Amino acid sequence: MATADNQHRPSAGKAFAILAGVFALLFGAVVALLAVTQHRVLDAAERLQRETVPEIIRFQRLARNLDQLSHEGERMFSSVTPEDRQQALFLVMLVASHPSILEHSQAAVMARDTEAYLVETNRLAMRDPATLRMRYPEWLRISQRINLLVDDLLVQGANLATTDLNDMADAMRAARLKLLGALILVGGFILLLIALLKQHLIRPLQRIDHALSSLDVGRPTPEFPDSRLAEIHAVEDATGRLHKAMVSNEAARRELELLANRDGLTGLINRRHFMVNAEAEIRRAQRYERPIVVAIGDLDYFKRLNDTYGHGAGDVVLRTFAGLLSESVRQSDLVCRYGGEEFAFLFPESTVEQAHILVERFRQRFAEHDIQLPSGLLVRVTISIGLADASHCPLDIALQRADYALYEAKRLGRNRVIVAAEAD
Amino acid sequence: MSGIRAIVLITALLSGLLQAAELKVAVVVQDPAQVSLQGNLLPSSTPGADLVAVTDELAREICRRIKARCSFSHVPFAEILPGIEEGRFDLGFGNFLRSPEREKRVAYSDPLFRSSSRLIGKPATARTFATKLGQPVSLASLRGARVAALEGSQQQAFLDGIAGERELAVLATSTTAEALDVLRKNGADFALLPIRTGYALISRDKAQHFVFVGPAVTAHGLGDAAHIVLAKQKNALRHAVNQAIAEIKADGTYLRIMQRHFPVFLD
Repeated sequence: MATADNQHRPSAGKAFAILAGVFALLFGAVVALLAVTQHRVLDAAERLQRETVPEIIRFQRLARNLDQLSHEGERMFSSVTPEDRQQALFLVMLVASHPSILEHSQAAVMARDTEAYLVETNRLAMRDPATLRMRYPEWLRISQRINLLVDDLLVQGANLATTDLNDMADAMRAARLKLLGALILVGGFILLLIALLKQHLIRPLQRIDHALSSLDVGRPTPEFPDSRLAEIHAVEDATGRLHKAMVSNEAARRELELLANRDGLTGLINRRHFMVNAEAEIRRAQRYERPIVVAIGDLDYFKRLNDTYGHGAGDVVLRTFAGLLSESVRQSDLVCRYGGEEFAFLFPESTVEQAHILVERFRQRFAEHDIQLPSGLLVRVTISIGLADASHCPLDIALQRADYALYEAKRLGRNRVIVAAEAD
Repeated sequence: MSGIRAIVLITALLSGLLQAAELKVAVVVQDPAQVSLQGNLLPSSTPGADLVAVTDELAREICRRIKARCSFSHVPFAEILPGIEEGRFDLGFGNFLRSPEREKRVAYSDPLFRSSSRLIGKPATARTFATKLGQPVSLASLRGARVAALEGSQQQAFLDGIAGERELAVLATSTTAEALDVLRKNGADFALLPIRTGYALISRDKAQHFVFVGPAVTAHGLGDAAHIVLAKQKNALRHAVNQAIAEIKADGTYLRIMQRHFPVFLD
């Protein structure tokens, strides 16, 4: 139930939605940063695949073609016949004409110069083969320059990959840091969530659980510290209200029980309640072999009193009798209005002798007590009582025997206590 | 067990046969004597027979890779593009360079190799022209000459383009060998040919009449990648051919084919 107080408290759903929203934003930001890095890695990888690797291959092919150029030039110098020299020269020209060489300015110049030098050498060698030997040292220098260029090209090709790979490595390092950040963020959020759950949900729920499990009308209303979450606060409020309702219900129950078990006129317990409790007391006494006594009393000449002074007077006598009786018997003794002017007694932990003394004392006290009727007239009423031991027989038998004793008391002149004979 | 194996084998064979496409392949010849002859029957003594043989072998390997049953026609260069356009050929092996005009007519495979163009001539002619021009002969300096080129080639298109300005007489020949014949018979001063073709022809010329003149050129569409051509709408075939080219380059088949016919491998 929403209260005005609760309207100022955040609900659990809203609180956790805000928390989840904040987390989603932070995590989304980290993921976005990671996506940027991933994009960078993918870009570098794609560049490596699409541009750098073909470029490296281009450098390698160029280097190989230049190497071929050098090789064919060498073959020209080592050729024995002019025909072989010419064939080698054709190959030099073929290699020097390849687009891979033509499109690289340094290689193109070197190939053109090499071809020109070899064409001239071949031309001179046609006239004088000795020219080959004379021009060979220069060829070695040219060949060396070609080989140096080949080495440079291979290194340049390898360096192209290094740039992309370094870029990728940088991006991966950045990604690792971002992942670590994401991990710390997630870990921190989980710890915060656990702490908040514990403080605002688990502990209040434990308190409520404890309060509910020990909720009793005999205990005070449970008190809770101020909760921040509306739902928890509502449950705590409800727990308090539940306790109050339980206390109220218990009071009502007791009142009803009292009404159900008591005689409306005298305030003594009624016959049904007496019978139930007396049965239990007798069973307990017999189980533990303890003495117990029952008695039945009847007001003498009560009908005549009623007929003479009216029922109002009879009621006053009955109430007076009940009041005196309540003052005279022990807390543990049971007394009920058995019916009309008849009363039943139960004396737990009492022998017949002890009970006899008790009821005799009461009989005397009642007989000497002046009862003021509504008319102002003072009267005295007596009672006859029959006592019976209930230690060894069921309640109904014991009451029957007490009833016989009462009858005997009436027969012998009333206003006396008669103990029933021992059962056979 | 053997029955199942037989069924699987038969199914595989049948599916292979069903999938095998029938392709008509045009292979460029270098000499008129090679026209309409099958690769293994090519007279090896004819000029440029090596070039035809290597192209033929390459075409057969690609056909095998794309699981096609190919019938081969050996035709002059100028017949290939119209043949592709008219549907007489599915694939054209003529080492075609790219040009905007050709792009409109046919589709290209991925590159097979890279090429350039170079003038070929007799040394004496080259010296004469150098004197006349006052500088070494090159395609950039050439003027007032008769130049032979393969009909329908980029070289011919380029020469036609500059002929008026440079006072050049362009002689189109149906094969590269014919271009050299014209040179040999002084019908032309120079021939502008693809470098590989030029090399194959002059290196086999026993009389050694010819030399390369001036530097090689790749500009003006005279060089760079050489391709197989096919009809523009045949995308699936183009993808399959490209896949085959990539495979034979990756597994070394292309290198072995080239090395069987050429003393050097240039890539």
